[in-house]
Amino acid sequence: MIPSDHFVRFYNEVFKYLDAHGGLEDYFLAISAQQEFHCLEAFRTHGLQGVHDYYVRIRREENCELDLVMEPGCLQLIMTRCPSLGKAIDNDAGVSPRYCDHCPGWVLPVYTKAGLYIIYDLMGHDQPQCHSWILDDIELARQKLREVEQARPAARLLRNF
Amino acid sequence: MLRYRETGELHKDFHGSTSLALDFVAGRHGEEALTEILHNVGTRVYASIHQKLLQDDPSELIEHLAYFYNREEADFDLEVTEHEITLRVHQCPAIAHIRKLGLPLSPRFCRSTTDVNAALCAGTPWATETQILAEGQCVQRFYRKERKA
Repeated sequence: MIPSDHFVRFYNEVFKYLDAHGGLEDYFLAISAQQEFHCLEAFRTHGLQGVHDYYVRIRREENCELDLVMEPGCLQLIMTRCPSLGKAIDNDAGVSPRYCDHCPGWVLPVYTKAGLYIIYDLMGHDQPQCHSWILDDIELARQKLREVEQARPAARLLRNF
Repeated sequence: MLRYRETGELHKDFHGSTSLALDFVAGRHGEEALTEILHNVGTRVYASIHQKLLQDDPSELIEHLAYFYNREEADFDLEVTEHEITLRVHQCPAIAHIRKLGLPLSPRFCRSTTDVNAALCAGTPWATETQILAEGQCVQRFYRKERKA
């Protein structure tokens, strides 16, 4: 058994292999399909509140330092210490340079299927922090994107709209 | 002393993610790709355990097995003698969690045990054998090669 505590270091080796030999983007989609089992119904049914509740559980179980800011029409996920990347870095095998990409790789398709919109700032692949805005209205999402682009002109923002 | 010694809550859903990863890699690149990845886990991720075994020191391996099977609340026994370590897993917590969720269980799931154990021992004075007794039940043995019973 690979302990659940050490899954991300195994995952990190999988990313390295697939990045070198092909299939990493397809693997992100396979992760996304599996994650639908865990959260798609809640996201579809309960919208931003469903996302909020899912990440409250993730924050507890994965020991994240994560602030959730719920405002009308917009949920912010502010990860100030990501234990996933943190463990991949604290790792004698070294971190995959693509490690962080798995997160938007699976969440963007799930939010799309749930009818939600996300703006994702990874804030660098070597820093265990990121910031995302999830919205339930396309016009609000476009407005938020403009605000974030203005506030963070250097950021490489990912989005699903 | 353990190189990795996590505390706090567990996210057991990761066991389902392990199952998916094993099947994805094998399906895309073949069983040998999985062998390579799991070998890297055993020798590079667990470099500290592997390096100690190379020096004929099983102390971190024993601590690792006891600590993480306890953390996962496994039903297990760990017996340690001078020349042999025997881990009897009566119910694998990873397989139990996957079954509880209703997620697919990879037919190669136990390779995450057997291949990693083999990698930990590769080139060391120690060898390993795993006997799968039933789904979620196994006996993992590590023994000094020159004292194999």
